[in-house]
Amino acid sequence: MLQYTVKRLFGLLPTLFLVGVLVFLFVHLLPGDPARLAAGPDATPETVALVRHDLGLDQSLPRQFVRFVTGVLHWDFGRSLSTKRPVSVEIGSRFMPTFWLTVWSMAWSVTLGMTIGIVSAVWRNRWPDRLGMTIAVSGISFPAFALGMVLMQVFAVDLGWLPTIGDDTWLHYILPSLTLGAAVAAIMARFTRSSFVEILGDDFIRTARAKGLDERQVIWRHAMRNALIPVVTMMGLQFGFLLGGSIVVEKVFNWPGLGRLLVDAVDMRDYPVIQALVLLFSLEFIVINLVVDVLYGFINPTIRYR
Amino acid sequence: MKFPLHRFAAALAVAAVAALAALPAQAAKDVVFAVASTFTTTDPYDANDTLSQAMAKSFYEGLYGFDKDMKMIPVLATSYEVSSDGLVYTLHLRHGVKFHDGTDFNAEAVKVNLDRVTNPDNHLKRYGLYSVIAKTEAVDPYTARITLKNPFSAFINDLAHPSGVMISPAAIQKYGKEIAFHPVGTGPFEFVEWKQPDYLKVKKFAGYWQKGLPKIDTITWRSVVDNNARAAMMQTGEAQFTFPVPYEIADVLKKKPDLALVAAPSIVIRYLSMNTQQKPFDNVKVREAIAYAINKQALAKVAFNGYAEPAAGVVPQGVEYAVKMAPWPYDLAKAKALMKEAGYPDGFETELWSAYNHTTAQKVTQFIQQQLQQIGIRTRITLLESGQRVQRVESWQDPKTAGVRLYYVGWSSSTGEADWALRPLLYGESWPPTLFNTAYYKSDKVDADIKGALLTTDSKEKARLYKDAQETIWHDAPWAPLVVEKLLSANSKKLTGVYVMPDASFNFTNADLK
Repeated sequence: MLQYTVKRLFGLLPTLFLVGVLVFLFVHLLPGDPARLAAGPDATPETVALVRHDLGLDQSLPRQFVRFVTGVLHWDFGRSLSTKRPVSVEIGSRFMPTFWLTVWSMAWSVTLGMTIGIVSAVWRNRWPDRLGMTIAVSGISFPAFALGMVLMQVFAVDLGWLPTIGDDTWLHYILPSLTLGAAVAAIMARFTRSSFVEILGDDFIRTARAKGLDERQVIWRHAMRNALIPVVTMMGLQFGFLLGGSIVVEKVFNWPGLGRLLVDAVDMRDYPVIQALVLLFSLEFIVINLVVDVLYGFINPTIRYR
Repeated sequence: MKFPLHRFAAALAVAAVAALAALPAQAAKDVVFAVASTFTTTDPYDANDTLSQAMAKSFYEGLYGFDKDMKMIPVLATSYEVSSDGLVYTLHLRHGVKFHDGTDFNAEAVKVNLDRVTNPDNHLKRYGLYSVIAKTEAVDPYTARITLKNPFSAFINDLAHPSGVMISPAAIQKYGKEIAFHPVGTGPFEFVEWKQPDYLKVKKFAGYWQKGLPKIDTITWRSVVDNNARAAMMQTGEAQFTFPVPYEIADVLKKKPDLALVAAPSIVIRYLSMNTQQKPFDNVKVREAIAYAINKQALAKVAFNGYAEPAAGVVPQGVEYAVKMAPWPYDLAKAKALMKEAGYPDGFETELWSAYNHTTAQKVTQFIQQQLQQIGIRTRITLLESGQRVQRVESWQDPKTAGVRLYYVGWSSSTGEADWALRPLLYGESWPPTLFNTAYYKSDKVDADIKGALLTTDSKEKARLYKDAQETIWHDAPWAPLVVEKLLSANSKKLTGVYVMPDASFNFTNADLK
């Protein structure tokens, strides 16, 4: 398995290179001149020229690309066009808030979602199922920004129990992680339920029941492991999405995370920041996929890696 | 119960006394300002946004500045003389001013700062504003002499501009390009920390030259992008001041007993520019018809929730040398008659672009579209995103092929003077991509007035020239002037002395917390 992991890790290099090329081209195709934007609303042409030179945008596109690639190879992603700080610092300071928010949101939403899903599957078409799926459907349909605003109004403004914005203490994490996790919990619940329902109808479950196993044993030992495979895949995907930083939640709660950084960067045509962020997001997805693949082996030992 | 009641009471009393004694004689006055965007830099010479420059006033001051009503006042300078040819400015400086790092403020500091911005190698974004300076000399410790390349009568206004601040020469020496992360000035507050993108914190500077100021201990500038979140912070008391307050939230905050909602006058004018080089807008009658066809009073109500007034002139009141005129009347019959005279009795089709894509701009353009339909002009609305705006309007190279026709945009003269309110927008040489004359307007008379006013140092003559220019422009109608906005801010009633200035900057030197 170690061999497999190493092989996969090397395999991601060409993918990342392709992503890098595409992102570079895509970003430079965006309409608008970053030098003009950075120089501001009342800048004279000489000032714009100065800024353009300062940002290295007066060089030809191939040359800028070579500079970008050699920079990346040396772990240097350049400097942000708008703040002039190194891109690595810019992203570094925003990564942890997004990461922890993602972890907390995933922790509660996966626990709750899977519980609801299993309960719904076991008591299919009875009242726990109806209740669980009602909650799940409302969780999916309620838009995150509305949920965030309602939560803030009720718990911060009216009741005064929790702070409104920022990420200074653990109290600050409660409302954003609730908002961010709601949709994930709903998706996980529905996914777990359908996966479990399918497995519970399989022959080997009937066999397990027929040989007189306790129903609890049937569900936890036989059904769980098999039903978990698609659920874990979904979990990985959701984790990847959230790690990209939720633009909506980060805006509503003024979270100093990656989502807002990306929006600001696109607004200002901050090429180096956009490029580095997209590379980071791709890397995150690839790594998460790898982890998920490796997890399959633990969940179901019959899966072999080559 | 073993513990006797009276001992319990005594213990309580002791605890209460201890708690009281623990409080300092005066509670620390910590204030939070919630603002709408993140700061781009702390170096005003390298900032292009009003907000970053307003924040930088915490630690920086200029030679000249503006009071809360946009009147120019001396700050680190006390007075100036200008030579009769308008080329040499001699500035007398304030004595006994020290930077936060203990360096003395003197003529050498003035020289270092102005030399820094006028050197193109430093790539500072405000280079253009000061490129008129030929050289700066320190005559004696408290006298600085600035020589210009050509006469430029609005020069002192450039010095008063929020970007023209005095940075400690020792700090410039020490930090070089990194000065934006270590601001050291003469202002009322010292820099503490900048945690991007969250907040920037400053604390009281004990050695501030204005005795008795500042009255508060710290200011935390918090960047909160979401309107709703800023409103929530004001209601929970997590912030004491916020700007801007969006119109749709104004009513909510107005109802709160401990908050004050302030609508301050501004010099932000909103107008509809018309491409005078292209048919049918080359015909002054068509342009007049459009100006007549828009009900500005209703526009202010519909799109700005009443927080705006019909524009009374080309240059808003509050800008030096602005001439007040009666707002362009709303007269549909006259508009129709003018369209007929111009040869368009059935109107025409055209483009209506907006320089912004926010909700207010959307309301404004829809309102204009509906108003112009009344005289047969059918418009296609495009709300330009910032990059598109730069590409399609501001840096369009060839005036002949420019796609801009009707263009909704706004302007605020950041130097508080008529030159910067007219020259970038209506001077014949300011067509894009040079500056922002999106009407592609050119009048020899206006050009001569603007040029002449820069050359003269006589303020009466200047006023005459600017009056002539503004009246000519009003008559030629390259724009349909729309409204002048009001600036909405909210503050806790405990906080006093914080003002939003007409250019959307802040004045908080006298801020105090009850």
